[in-house]
Amino acid sequence: MPHRILICDDAIFMRTMIADILTSGGYEIAGEAESGLQAVERYRELKPDLVTMDIVMPDMGGIDAVKAIVAEDPSARILMCSAMGQQALVVEAVQAGAKDFVVKPFQPARVLEAVQRVLSA
Amino acid sequence: MTDTRRARYVALFATETRTLLASARRALAGWREQPEEAAPAEEVFRVLHTIKGMAASLEFNALAEHVHAAEGALAGVRSGERAADHWFLAALEETLDALAVESDAVVAAETTPRGAAAPAARIVRVDSDRLDALLAELGGLVTARQELERRAEADSLSPIGRAAIKLARRLDRLQDRILAVRLAPFGELLERVPPMIRDLARQLGKDVTVEVQGEGIEVDRAILDRLGEPLLHLLRNAVDHGLETPEARRAAGKAAAGRITVAARQDRNVVELEVRDDGHGIDREAVVAKAIERGALEAGAHLDDEDLLAILARPGFSTAAQVTDVSGRGVGLDAVLARMREVGATVSLATTPGAGTTFTIRMPTRLGIVRALVTRVGEEPYVLPLTHVTELAAWDAASSEVHQGRNMIRIRDALIPVVDLRRLVQFRGTAPPVRRPAVIMASQGRRMALLADAVEGQVDAVVQPLDRPQRLPRWITGATILEDGQPALMLDLASVI
Repeated sequence: MPHRILICDDAIFMRTMIADILTSGGYEIAGEAESGLQAVERYRELKPDLVTMDIVMPDMGGIDAVKAIVAEDPSARILMCSAMGQQALVVEAVQAGAKDFVVKPFQPARVLEAVQRVLSA
Repeated sequence: MTDTRRARYVALFATETRTLLASARRALAGWREQPEEAAPAEEVFRVLHTIKGMAASLEFNALAEHVHAAEGALAGVRSGERAADHWFLAALEETLDALAVESDAVVAAETTPRGAAAPAARIVRVDSDRLDALLAELGGLVTARQELERRAEADSLSPIGRAAIKLARRLDRLQDRILAVRLAPFGELLERVPPMIRDLARQLGKDVTVEVQGEGIEVDRAILDRLGEPLLHLLRNAVDHGLETPEARRAAGKAAAGRITVAARQDRNVVELEVRDDGHGIDREAVVAKAIERGALEAGAHLDDEDLLAILARPGFSTAAQVTDVSGRGVGLDAVLARMREVGATVSLATTPGAGTTFTIRMPTRLGIVRALVTRVGEEPYVLPLTHVTELAAWDAASSEVHQGRNMIRIRDALIPVVDLRRLVQFRGTAPPVRRPAVIMASQGRRMALLADAVEGQVDAVVQPLDRPQRLPRWITGATILEDGQPALMLDLASVI
């Protein structure tokens, strides 16, 4: 059975792009969320194998969402998606419990590599 | 990335960027009112950040750089090193405008076909004359379809009758599709609004925040094309005469920056475009005084908003310099109303002293064909668009009551003034039937019961504009051909209500 992934990003554009990359790698899209708050709710409801998490989102940012998800499920596997120049935030996210990160603009090979790394860790 | 996939991303980029920039503008408007608030800065930042990510993904590198620079300028304010003062917010607003123009340009550069090498374009450019010809052809078709359907329903069991009904349904859909081809989004018009207002504000030394809403709502292109000029009139009036100077606003306890909102809204087949300012409102007394002086009103008259608009829209009235000086509405409101009537739109006004003025333009989404009620007086048919019709009731002398010298009809608990269509069209023929249908109409919170001799049903009326004789009342808006080939006048009685 393919791994199920929850995509969290406030831009439909980014969600579509990530979904295309993941589907091409044989993964199943469990669901999508467009804010941190929604990410936490969807995680609870879908129990996905992996979450891709944008950092800048409305309502609740990605880092707070990571904290909330990990607090409920310490084994959660979360991959941060950050823009260039957000190193400090990425470090904060990893401290909060995120497993790895990829940098926008996405290169499909890099994204799939990172996903595989997190899933097999 | 394949061409098709890229085309899809570019299309997503285009719509999402537009939505995001609109959201940033809304945040900016709130920010102006509460410069201490942190949320607007965060929202503008999120917008810029998201656009940057999308632009970089599509290798729109110059755009991504510009957004990145704008994000940098915001950083100082977000960290509290720099105040979000007037100059900062004005510069930010200009940056948002510039980014809108630039992102449109990169999308256009990619989606405009450049010979065979371009990615499969799904947009065809069509001469609008050809579309107009198609619409004219459709007019005849709609009339023929209605007759076909009527006859087929009388014979619905025969194979020919059944085939005819099927054909009529198909024609229905064809009609919808053809009309949809002509639809264009309000965004095309609304995106010109913020730069237009800023230009005006600069010229007039005013400080203005702009908000636009409803970019995605669609109307017939012929209507949209004709809205530009009247909209500019209304905006100019709002900035020039509606809004106070920053000093006067502060003195009145308002935010220094005036706010102008241009919002499109859809309610089934009607679209409303609202132009709202939060200025000082129209000085009713000054207009009344002026109208009395000109002999247009009797001394002691009181004007409600509707009367006020009627007075202001008299040719030459609103351009009178004195009225402008005491805060009247400037240039050519009569011209605005005339242009709007051409496309079947109506204009209404609401103004509150100290709080501002709102003009609302109501128009059909689709030009040329309106759902309408066919009524009859004697043998003469009259067609009423359903836009303002709320219900039908039965009337006879016994159900009528007289209040303050006016004939009224009681509908549930409300008394509604009765207007006889016979009197309106000056019918001089046979006596009316004893029991008559009353068409209840509502517009801007007022109601009227229109008495006809008979109501015959609904049709899709294809409206032909009239070469208007000089003294034709303005509530006669056009003519149409009924199913039986008989011509009928189209009445839009919103102005009579």
